[in-house]
This record gives sequence, C-alpha cells and structure tokens, in this order.
Amino acid sequence: MSFEPKIVGILCNWCSYAGADLAGTSRKKYAPNVRIVRVMCSGRVEPGFILKAFQKGADGVLVCG
Amino acid sequence: MASVRSNKNIELMTYSEVTDVSGYVGSFKVSVKQKPRYVDITKCTGCGTCQEKCPMKTDNAFDAGLGKRKAIYTPFPQAVPNVPVIDPAVCTFFLKGKCRACEKFCEAKAIDFNQKEKIAELEVGNIIITTGFDSFDPSVMVQFGYGQYDNVITGVQFERMSNASGPTDGKIMLKDGSPPQSVAILHCIGSRDKNYHQYCSRVCCMYSLKFAHLLREKVPEATVYQLYIDMRCAGSGYEEFYERIQEEGVNFIRGKAGEITDMAEAPEEQGKLMVIVEDTLVRRKRRLPVDMVVLSTALEPRADAESVAKTFSLSRKADGFFLEKHPKLDPVATTTDGVFIAGCCQGPKDIPDTVAQASAAAARVLSMISKGSVQIESATAVVDEELCSGCRICNDLCSYNAITFDEEKKVSHINEALCKGCGTCVAACPSGAITGRHFTTEQIMSEIEGVLV
Repeated sequence: MSFEPKIVGILCNWCSYAGADLAGTSRKKYAPNVRIVRVMCSGRVEPGFILKAFQKGADGVLVCG
Repeated sequence: MASVRSNKNIELMTYSEVTDVSGYVGSFKVSVKQKPRYVDITKCTGCGTCQEKCPMKTDNAFDAGLGKRKAIYTPFPQAVPNVPVIDPAVCTFFLKGKCRACEKFCEAKAIDFNQKEKIAELEVGNIIITTGFDSFDPSVMVQFGYGQYDNVITGVQFERMSNASGPTDGKIMLKDGSPPQSVAILHCIGSRDKNYHQYCSRVCCMYSLKFAHLLREKVPEATVYQLYIDMRCAGSGYEEFYERIQEEGVNFIRGKAGEITDMAEAPEEQGKLMVIVEDTLVRRKRRLPVDMVVLSTALEPRADAESVAKTFSLSRKADGFFLEKHPKLDPVATTTDGVFIAGCCQGPKDIPDTVAQASAAAARVLSMISKGSVQIESATAVVDEELCSGCRICNDLCSYNAITFDEEKKVSHINEALCKGCGTCVAACPSGAITGRHFTTEQIMSEIEGVLV
C-alpha cells in the first residue's frame, strides 16, 4: 500500500481558500490528502494549531495566505 | 446631468479629482482637488464669445482628434455646467504672459486668471465609483495601419463624424471630403485577442451594426462590410436589430482581418485600402477594396485605474477592471464596505446594464441612509478588558488601524467598524485576551481535530 499523507491546510479566506473554492467551482480536481480549515487571514494562525494537527496525526501542515 | 446639477440635494463637483479617502462606512473623509478653470462659474453666462475670440487652437479630444477647439473651451455642447475652461498648456497668456483676449471681450467679467487649485474636505457615508473606461488605442496593432492610413478610423471617430454637431456636421466623409464608396467595419480590435485583451467588450457588435445602419442611411450608395468573429447580439431587441441590418443589404463576412494595405495587386485596387481577410464561412482568402475602415476598438480599464484603486482601497481583476464583492451575488459592492461600483469601471457593459447597475448602487446607498445605521460583519475581534494587560502588541500589528489604546483604562480597544476580522491580533495576544468571533481558538482546534478523524 502506498503512503497517503494527511495534510491539514490552514487557508486564508481571501486568497488561498478563495483559490480552493475556485478550483471547486471550475470543476478542477485536487488530491483529497489536503483537508482544509478556513481562517480569515493566515495571521490568525497560532503555533498551537500546528502542534494540534501533528498531535492528532497529521503528516504535514500547509499554512497558505 | 443638468437635472443633477439643479437638484438641491446634489452638489456637483466638476473638474475635480479625489485625492485621498480615509475612514469607514458611514464616516468617510474625502479630499477633493478642485482644479482652477480660470472662469468664474457664478458670473459666466455661457455666451461663448470668449471661445470665438480666443486665437489659440488645438486638437479637440472630444472629437477624437477630428476637430479643433480653442484654448478656452467647453468640452462638448451639452457640458454641465455650460461654462468654459482655460487650458493653460495652450493659452497664450499662460505660455507667454500676453493676450487676455477672452478677458477683454467677456461682458460678464467672468475670466479670472488668478484662480488657484483648491482642496475641499467632504464627510460622506458611502461612495459610488463610476469612472468608466478608456478606448483601446489600435495604433499598436500595426497590421491595421491606424495612424498610417488617413481613412482608417476608430469607432469613436466615426461616431463623432456621424454626429450632427460633430466636426463634419454629421457628414460621413473621407479625409479629402468626398463620401466613401465602400466601408469595412472591423469587429474585436483589441478584444477577444490574447495579445491584448482576452475578454469580449460586449458593446462593439451592436455599435458596429448601428454604424452600418447609419452608413446605409447617410451614404446609401456605399457598400458596407462587417468583419466579425461571432455576432454577439444578446439583449432586448438586439437580435431583431441584427436581422434588420442584414435586410438592409450590409455584407457580413465571418473572419478577422489580417492586414490592411494600400499596395494594389490589380488595376481596380489602385487608390483603395485593401482589407485582407479569410472568409471562414466559404474558406477563402479575400481582398476587399474599400475607401474607409472603421475599427471597433475594445473597452479597457482607464489608464489611472491603479491609482483610483489605491485611493479607494479597491482590488482589480486580472483584466484590470475593479473587482466586485461577488461576481454573481454582489456585483455592485466592493470588498471595502460603503464603496460601490457601477458601469464600465467594473467591466465592459452596454447602457441598459450600466443604468441597472448604477440604479442598484444608488438603491444600496439609499437603503443604508434610510436605515440610519449600518450592518457590519459579525466576524470581528473583541478585547476582554479584564484579561488585557495593556502591552499594546496588538496596536501596531493591526493592518486596518482598528485598535486604539484606552489611556484611562490602560486596555486596548477594537473599533468594530474598522475591524475586518483577520485575527492577527487574536493570535498575537500574549494574554489570550482577544477573541476572534466565529473563529475562536476552540472552534479552530475542533475543526483541526475534525478534519483528521
């Protein structure tokens, strides 16, 4: 069985989340390995969020903004 | 415009420019630069004597370079207010310190060479931006010879020519004054073209049809060609108009011209402009001998769109037009609360669509005014004054200047009207005193747990 990482994507509402949304409305596909959490700005991200993701079994955390 | 000016509730500021905007919805402070027109608007009767007596001439921008105007001029016949303005770049008095002919002949004593630029400070609740568009300059498309051949003109120039108060008194004529025997109207110049603008300018098909109609009416013996990529006649009564023009005997050729040249390959081509086009419906290259070519140029964002966007904190789309809040659900509002857009500054559109959007923008502002209060986003940050230590870290971090420090209580305070809810302060607060509504730490933590189940 190949390795399927679990990645938590913490995305800014205005750019990267809007981009992910656009991918959806344009019917484009992206890997289901990224699970998205929306924030109003990447500035909202606290170190605790990232640690929490790793603690709960994430293989990677993607902060976009 | 005249009724706008006479309405007592509207203050019309012409020859003015917004230089600075601060504040927020319901309480904007706007600085307006009022340029000197060197004519006292309260004394001028609009008699026009000054324009007759002025000795200096220059190209008339309103006539797209076809006609001339004086150094003191009214931009166009129906201009509001009907008061001329002196162009200091052309006026002899400003250039050489002599002349003052307009002043001598003005019976109303309205000429005032001492006028200075003024800055007006306004307090407004809402702003509607309707700065319009620029017309694409086709001289960059050298294959069409605009600027090289006298009788290759733009749609705006044709429009001025066909106007009864225009530079030719409404006569369609070649540079030598004779009527054209054949005219080609070329669609999509600069639009639907990946080298220039990818978008469709929406209005060109219809105005090109109008030009064909005017030509059939004013120069009935002339042959008229329409060279189109696709005819886009969507709108009330538009398709019917298209059919009517087809019945009027206009030749429609599906294909975009590749080149316009005056190089004759046969005796009958002598002295003509040759339009070289692939007629894609019959799959044949054609050479059309014509006397006049009208280029239906694209609508593009105004040259100063970038600085206007900066002044009003607007975003722009990839094509350069102002970005609306939502393309389908909120095409009138912008990402700045209290700032609305209407017309071609948002994207190319025809007059009915512009009127609809402008009415919508006016209605949105009216509903805000009649309510007397504004609804703001609920996702803002709030400071728990009990927990705030007064360290002021958040004060400088806020990109929207929404956080002030209460010197008396020694705590920070967030102005909810300015807060965009980004949460930067929430993450930065060492005491955990700031809560980001709808994006609390507990909520985000639970979400992270949720996505990893």
